[in-house]
Amino acid sequence: MSVRKTLISNCEKKFLIKNLSEWTRLDGRAFDEFREIQISFGKDWGSCHVSLGKTSVLAQVSCEIQQPKTSRPSEGVLNLNIELNPLAAPHFDTGRQSDVGVQLNRLLEKCLKDSKALDLESLCIKMNEKVWSIRVDLNVLNYEGNILDCASIAALSALAHFKRPDVTSDGEEFVIHSIEQRDPIPLVLHHYPVCVTYAVFNGGEFILADPSLVEEEVSDAFLSVGLNAYKELCGLHLGGKAELSTDLILSTTTKAANRAVLVVREIKEAIEKDAEKRLKSKECFNMEHLFNDLAAMNLEKYIDPWAGDGKRKKKKSKEKKQEEVTTKMDVEEVVQVANIENLGEGTAALIPINEKDGSKIWEISDEDDDDVDDEIVVVEVPKPVVDLRDVATDSEEEAVIILNADKKTNKKKKYKTKK
Amino acid sequence: METELTKSTFSCKLGILSRPDGSAILSKDNTTVIAGIYGPIEVKLQKLLIDKASVECHYRPKSGLPGIEDRMHESIIRNTCEASLVASLHPRTAVLVAIQELQNSGQLISCAVNAVCLACLHAGIDMKFMFGAVTCFSNGVEMSLNPPAQTHIKAVFVFVFDSTEKRVIASHTKGIFTKEQFEEAVELCRSGSDQVFDYYKKVLTN
Repeated sequence: MSVRKTLISNCEKKFLIKNLSEWTRLDGRAFDEFREIQISFGKDWGSCHVSLGKTSVLAQVSCEIQQPKTSRPSEGVLNLNIELNPLAAPHFDTGRQSDVGVQLNRLLEKCLKDSKALDLESLCIKMNEKVWSIRVDLNVLNYEGNILDCASIAALSALAHFKRPDVTSDGEEFVIHSIEQRDPIPLVLHHYPVCVTYAVFNGGEFILADPSLVEEEVSDAFLSVGLNAYKELCGLHLGGKAELSTDLILSTTTKAANRAVLVVREIKEAIEKDAEKRLKSKECFNMEHLFNDLAAMNLEKYIDPWAGDGKRKKKKSKEKKQEEVTTKMDVEEVVQVANIENLGEGTAALIPINEKDGSKIWEISDEDDDDVDDEIVVVEVPKPVVDLRDVATDSEEEAVIILNADKKTNKKKKYKTKK
Repeated sequence: METELTKSTFSCKLGILSRPDGSAILSKDNTTVIAGIYGPIEVKLQKLLIDKASVECHYRPKSGLPGIEDRMHESIIRNTCEASLVASLHPRTAVLVAIQELQNSGQLISCAVNAVCLACLHAGIDMKFMFGAVTCFSNGVEMSLNPPAQTHIKAVFVFVFDSTEKRVIASHTKGIFTKEQFEEAVELCRSGSDQVFDYYKKVLTN
């Protein structure tokens, strides 16, 4: 017998559903509104703390040299490890991983590892003998719902922030240079995939973005979409017991794509800010920012909305209107095409930009995508989705679609359904 | 609630996590630790004690799986908590202490112990006394409470004191030292513990 998790009572469930039918959420957010992300970095490379509302996750990237797998002699190794710390919730047990832990780990792996976000070949030191093994440790500090999104942001930011020590070789011997001797080398990320989660209620009647703890418990199913800034699909998971229609999945995925763009932009900004800060002051970091971030977390916007007075409500509705406007704007600028920007000296970057024409990126069609840059492959998902629905009728099964969104190897489009 | 002592560089914040009953983040000289307390909560059957609450302690390092050293931190903190908490008030329950290392630049044990004490105070759980840990360094000749600039450290002592009579609750030593040096270190740390308890007061009254 282990410590049981707190159950949600029937009246709480009913209350929540009733609220949803009146288009309100318990914390006053709009249906497609996410909680605020805060990203802060520690003193060490690859140490990152991310909070999504009150949910918070600590990520630390570490590296070591090991032998490569015999099947892939020239590739480094990436390991993701999510730890449900008892700090986050008393029913999280240390020791062996729980079912939830395994599922979260797999979803993160699908999003980050299987989408080939990290360039593993650049981690090779000597073929068949020595490669870098990168390990990402994710510690959940506070569990207030939607660990997956928070953890995926934390893992990605930590990977983008991390720098490994330089290695040189004279043919025989390998020398690992300390950070003082040579500048450490950042990891090569091909693209930035993040997970975006939606909770499904009443078999698809209500779809809520970024579910909180109570919403997570009450929901019928959840839809997690892995996407990068170019709106390419890097993993899709529908868990639970809800029969979602194709249109619903498509429209939700489109919404998720817009969100992913914003999240990735936020991650990149945070990393730039950190780099600037490090340049300015070489003083050690006191995690002072963490104090501030955590202090900001307790601010009034997270206070129980029922405690608020009329004034607050008015303000809320105004905010909501604004929110609607912004989301509308987001929808308008749906089609996002990447631009190639020359950075000089044989380097270039794919920069996602907003374009106003066009409405959807994923459609059931075989139209030519004339207005899209050649560099970008628009992923079409009609077929898998139809299959997905068939599978989804059975609550015990989970459908997994992996679309290889590699830009160069267009033909490598595959999907598999896992049971 | 963020205060800084003039001489040392403590900074602390209480109640930073919403789930635990009590939580604290404590940072001293670039070593940062988060501690959280749940309790009294339901107990696992194999850990049930019929006359008092059982104290469970979980320490997580920043990266990798917990090793032997981390288990040792756990046991120091668990023993300290068992001595300090009034466990007999809540028989057949458990008190869960969870610690997460955020940043390590030395003096990790004392920082973790102090963070746990602050978390206990924030949780409002019954305690017989507060406890404070102090680290002291010896280079063979001199003792100091601050890490010396040169790396000629012969021994490191960590002592945990109670707030009422300043008795030693736990001690942990590393390195080579004589009996006299040990006694000297106890006295030095005892005097240093005042600063820790003063800091607790400052945090709680602000």
